[in-house]
Amino acid sequence: MADLDAIKAEAKRLLSEGVVEVLVAFMPGDTPLHPQPAFFTNPDEVENLVCNGLCQNNLATFLTRLPKEKKVGMLVRGCENRSVNALVVEKQKSRENLYLVGIPCEGIIDWRKIVERVGEAVLAVNENDDQVEVETRDGHFSFMKNELLHDSCLRCSHPTPVSADILIGEALAEGNPATAREAVEEFAAQSAEERHDWFQKEAERCIRCYACREACPMCYCTECFVDHIEPRWTESGATPAGMQGWHIVRAFHQTGRCTSCGACERACPMDIKMTYLTEKLNQDMKNKYNFEVGLDTQTQPPFATVTLDDKNRFTV
Amino acid sequence: MPSNSRSLYTPIPMHVLHGYYESTDHSLKTLELSFDNAEDSQAFFEAFNPGQFCLLSVAGKGESALGVASAAWEGDFVRFTAQKMGSVTSALHALKAGDAIGMRGPLGNGFPLEDWKGKNLVIIGGGCAFSTLYALTKHVHHPTNRDNYGKLTLVYGTRTSGLCMYKHDIAAWHENEDMEIHQAIDVPEDNWLHHVGYVPDVVRQVAPSPDNAVAVVCGPPIMTKFTLPALVELGFAPENIFTSLEKRMKCGIGKCGRCNLGPKYICKHGPVFSLAELNALPADL
Amino acid sequence: MNLILEKQALPGLLQSWREQFDVYVPQKLERFSHFMPLLDTSVLVTDEPHNTRIPPKALFLPMTETLVKFTRFGGYEDAHQTIHPRIIFGIRPCDAQAVQLLDTSFIQEGYTDPLWLERREKTITIGLGCHEPCHNGFCTTVGYGPFNKADLDALLTDIGDFYLIETLSEAGETCFRGLASASDETYEHALNIQHTAHDQMPVAFETENLKEKLEQNFNSQYWEAVSQSCLGCGVCTFLCPTCFCFDIADETQRRERVRNWDTCMFRTYSLEASGHNPRPSRVERTRQRLSHKFVYWLDQVNQIGCTGCGRCVRYCPVGLDIRAMLRRAQSLPFEVSHAL
Repeated sequence: MADLDAIKAEAKRLLSEGVVEVLVAFMPGDTPLHPQPAFFTNPDEVENLVCNGLCQNNLATFLTRLPKEKKVGMLVRGCENRSVNALVVEKQKSRENLYLVGIPCEGIIDWRKIVERVGEAVLAVNENDDQVEVETRDGHFSFMKNELLHDSCLRCSHPTPVSADILIGEALAEGNPATAREAVEEFAAQSAEERHDWFQKEAERCIRCYACREACPMCYCTECFVDHIEPRWTESGATPAGMQGWHIVRAFHQTGRCTSCGACERACPMDIKMTYLTEKLNQDMKNKYNFEVGLDTQTQPPFATVTLDDKNRFTV
Repeated sequence: MPSNSRSLYTPIPMHVLHGYYESTDHSLKTLELSFDNAEDSQAFFEAFNPGQFCLLSVAGKGESALGVASAAWEGDFVRFTAQKMGSVTSALHALKAGDAIGMRGPLGNGFPLEDWKGKNLVIIGGGCAFSTLYALTKHVHHPTNRDNYGKLTLVYGTRTSGLCMYKHDIAAWHENEDMEIHQAIDVPEDNWLHHVGYVPDVVRQVAPSPDNAVAVVCGPPIMTKFTLPALVELGFAPENIFTSLEKRMKCGIGKCGRCNLGPKYICKHGPVFSLAELNALPADL
Repeated sequence: MNLILEKQALPGLLQSWREQFDVYVPQKLERFSHFMPLLDTSVLVTDEPHNTRIPPKALFLPMTETLVKFTRFGGYEDAHQTIHPRIIFGIRPCDAQAVQLLDTSFIQEGYTDPLWLERREKTITIGLGCHEPCHNGFCTTVGYGPFNKADLDALLTDIGDFYLIETLSEAGETCFRGLASASDETYEHALNIQHTAHDQMPVAFETENLKEKLEQNFNSQYWEAVSQSCLGCGVCTFLCPTCFCFDIADETQRRERVRNWDTCMFRTYSLEASGHNPRPSRVERTRQRLSHKFVYWLDQVNQIGCTGCGRCVRYCPVGLDIRAMLRRAQSLPFEVSHAL
């Protein structure tokens, strides 16, 4: 469990000492299941800060929405830290203008797993170590946290922020990389027909709301390829060609950039499990290039660099 | 609204009669379109009113909203002048005489000519937005309509002389004693005989009288923004100052939602609004 | 007419309608319910205490729809659609009320949308009221309610093992022809359930002078404050039963001009070819969304353009809550308009 008092103390310090101009974190939502991202500019506001398992957004997505020169502080969990690093490598922010408050993460609770079990009339949610207590209109329920975690978090390799300026809480053990790899291999082991059916089934629910894109820290293009008119890359409507084109191309644009945070899946209003695409590409990056994004702010992603001794002659 | 059985979204089939550049830099091109079917032409001219616009359609590219730049008496064709800006207007520029084109219209409200009868008209235009004012002037100035209106004063400004549209008619209007035309360019040029300066300043210089007059302003947003207050200063009441607005449009018939200014749709309740009406709408432009 | 239907008899009745109509009912899709055509093996979802994920507006204004077909040599023809008469069963009052609101936009003298009109004319709507108020809805706050009758041919009230059916039109009567009449007692019992449900809905925000407060504070910092964490996706507007904005695009390869759901929350919505954008950031776009629903709809048809269905509250990825935004708006300064 995150030490909220320590987080708040550090947040107050950062703001009152002028280390940062804005601290991006979370505050309670207007409903118990949805804490909201918050932008604290004043130490007095920090009393409102929360950091719990229901904080489902990857805050790094807000980094590219703030002015580049602004000194930004951010609460980062494992995947968020790696997303921030990826953005620094892509020169979307300089590391000197960042102060990262690292929170070792026990996983994000998938609020839909709560609703599936107890319905929507949730009045309060409290976490106690490895238990989650849910108060609803119909009574009191208790769950093991593990059974409520978002699927991406169950596959997480790096729960502890890798390059925070300060770590609040005990570093957690690294996850087993085999879990993510096995999930990809299991899917890949299916026949081409089965995989294609799955792809079509998931894509056909898409309503082109682009919540996945907006929730993703790495999707920051001012003009997304779907909005481009000449040439027109993919159909813009909820047609099979359009939806499939959207999913495939966005996944490919994430190659070597996705930190497996799962924010896309959590944002999707149609429960589309699109991470199977990016997870496959992440595994490919590991296997072929021995590359995992965001572990530091120096290593260049293989697909964004060209050197004279690249294996494929055509790239020179 | 055209009264045909075609869906509101299906363009009327037309062909390009003539296409020619207005401006020396080829950024502005005029297209004159003829109707493939006589019933469409009849329905169009029955409904048409200067100040209205149409959506010109290039199959595969999209549609572009353009003001009608011709008066009904000119003949069985419809004139538009398009500035080359994006993919559809580029496609329009590439059209030649004989090419097929689609048109949806006439759309919008047009100028309230009934209300303007008996009044002096002060017509102020800038840049390529002059096209509907050109249609208005052609309509008002025609012998059958002239006696319905009072004094005609025109102010037309362009960045350079080369960007002036409808040069042939403008030259003739300078010679015409029945109207007072003040043409302006932004910066001095050799052999320029008329005003130099921005339209709002020229309007102040010309100082048209607000007595029994209405003023209509069509120009780029920045020009309109500064000309409207100049007219107020000169004593024009907000109900007697008109302008034509533009916003991104798609359906043109008040259905898709995007061209709204508060509760009004520019494509349907406009594009012509009085300053009094605008003052009651949010500044969402 | 007030009739009763045994719940057990519902599946059979719905199947019998299939002789003449396509029947759309809420069915399970992944983890949620969705209006889909009734098949022989369909499993109905009629007892969840809330509405479907996607509003049934999708059955009148499809997510994507062909408007015009391109013919050879640059010609055009109307896209001909074949709409089979259909019955939508289980539509919630919030969603039906929204269809009535959308009618005021799509069906107007001289400006009627032919595609919308055809679908409307060929649709019978059988509503299912919400005897157990949903958790995030606020229909009563915006002037409607869990047993609102707008745009319904019949309204069902769940009274345990039975439904009370109030037929509201000839079409509704025809659908339930042959069923037994409800006794006065049963009817009173149902009315009680309806009133209780209505009263149980909490007041989410005050609507008095809300319109004036929103429209008189166009340049206020309020808009930035309530849109700070907005991601600018389209979830709220796409899941909204009263949102109707659409884009028109040419699909060259299919030789068609189509319309697709669009949203004022996207940057490109009002982006002009010159590069100018009247609503350049999420601040202005949030202002447009809230103002459209709680100011402009009132100016146009004197009704609030939100039916309190609660979907935007449940599915906003960053937990933004329109009810909280409007509660906050109540503290904006305003002047009572001395209108005629």
